[in-house]
Amino acid sequence: MRKSHKIDEHTIGEKMEPFAFKGRHIIDTADLSNDEIMHLVKVCDEIQAMGDDKARTLCKGKILATLFWEPSTRTRLSFEAAMYRLGGNVLGFSEAKSSSVSKGETLADTIKTVSLYADIIAMRHPMEGSALAASQYSEVPVINGGDGPHLHPTQTLGDIYTLIKEKGRLEGLKMGFLGDLLFGRTVHTLVRVLARFGVELHFFSPEGLNIPAYVRSDLEAKGAVFTEQEGLGGRLAELDALYVTRLQKERFFSEEEYLRKKNSYVVDRETLTRAKDDVLVLHPLPRNEEIHPNVDGLPNAGYFRQATYGMQMRMSLISTCLGVKA
Amino acid sequence: MTMRIERINNGIVLDHIKAGMGIHILKLFEVELLHTKIDYASYIDSPSLGMKDIIKIENLDVDPKMLMKMALLAPDITISFIRDGHVDKKVKPEVPPLVEGVINCPNPKCITQQEVYLTSRFQVAFEEDGRLRQQCLFCEHIFYS
Repeated sequence: MRKSHKIDEHTIGEKMEPFAFKGRHIIDTADLSNDEIMHLVKVCDEIQAMGDDKARTLCKGKILATLFWEPSTRTRLSFEAAMYRLGGNVLGFSEAKSSSVSKGETLADTIKTVSLYADIIAMRHPMEGSALAASQYSEVPVINGGDGPHLHPTQTLGDIYTLIKEKGRLEGLKMGFLGDLLFGRTVHTLVRVLARFGVELHFFSPEGLNIPAYVRSDLEAKGAVFTEQEGLGGRLAELDALYVTRLQKERFFSEEEYLRKKNSYVVDRETLTRAKDDVLVLHPLPRNEEIHPNVDGLPNAGYFRQATYGMQMRMSLISTCLGVKA
Repeated sequence: MTMRIERINNGIVLDHIKAGMGIHILKLFEVELLHTKIDYASYIDSPSLGMKDIIKIENLDVDPKMLMKMALLAPDITISFIRDGHVDKKVKPEVPPLVEGVINCPNPKCITQQEVYLTSRFQVAFEEDGRLRQQCLFCEHIFYS
């Protein structure tokens, strides 16, 4: 079904096979081996080392289609900026009503048509499994920019790159996740990849917003080291990185409960006095109140740099899937 | 215990249905059951299953796709095809590890619900507790029977 071939996720090979990214769809991080993820990281570094001018020659004459059936300004702009920085061009739509869907066109027909115009497609769609379905009808690589609440692989890969650039390694890192861990697809995908790389995981969430059972059982099956508790407590002092997610009022049983608990999930300068000096604070953005703006000026605030690394990872994905970078 | 349903001369007998699942098996049929004699006994003692359901439907045949649908709902089901009062054939459909185009994903957010031309694909496996685990290969939603 998927053009991307399934590879044992635990194959950290002594013998490095050539990486077959050209023409490949990027639907799920589970389709990528650890070696392949590290290869994408290496390509990120290589592109950045080229300098802007040379990087802008990589995808000259190539076209990226950004097909966004639901609005996501940040992800779409990140893909488009990545393609422009590679010297390519971009076309597409940013919401369903400005696409042929409003005239009743099927996903398959849209993809078949666009894959005649563009060399690569980045898409977001509200339905789960939509990117996989699209890949079955596309003549060109499809990159999943989010299929409903299901998968968001480019966010995860960008976060992996962020951790490697900021902390220098993955294995042995102690990473905390704070906020709504039940509905956050970003966290669900990320923690399962981090577990493969030997990152220790610590979950902090209000009761009822814990990581879902299927993620927990997956982590257990992978032999991951992880803990779960309500508040940050003393464990904050052990963390190398803290990944904060949005805490939405509507997820609570009552407004009273939200107001009572929300302050325990706000990270500010005072919170960070209890953490390691170099604790890295990350957030998939956009944020609400969960990270106080007074953190922004601290070197610990990694969330804007994280957006840059995310764009650089998208440059790596576009160039490898197009085959302009091996 | 006295069997509460009658013999049939022509049709099918669906036996070894996990107790309570018979109603879901009947729901698989649509117009086929109009003006048809159906006997349905639920929660009957069964040496192998503890309790089971049995359905007898007169003058009805079923195709392999329907057999697979029934097996996914009731993995132990046996289907006897009755001709002139005798068992002409008895089958116990095996559930393959990959089921394509047979059942629909119940997840309302699954792309297969919207784009109906897509061929559904499910990875199917028995859990240790005997339940049949079915995972949609599009949305990865898991459900059990």
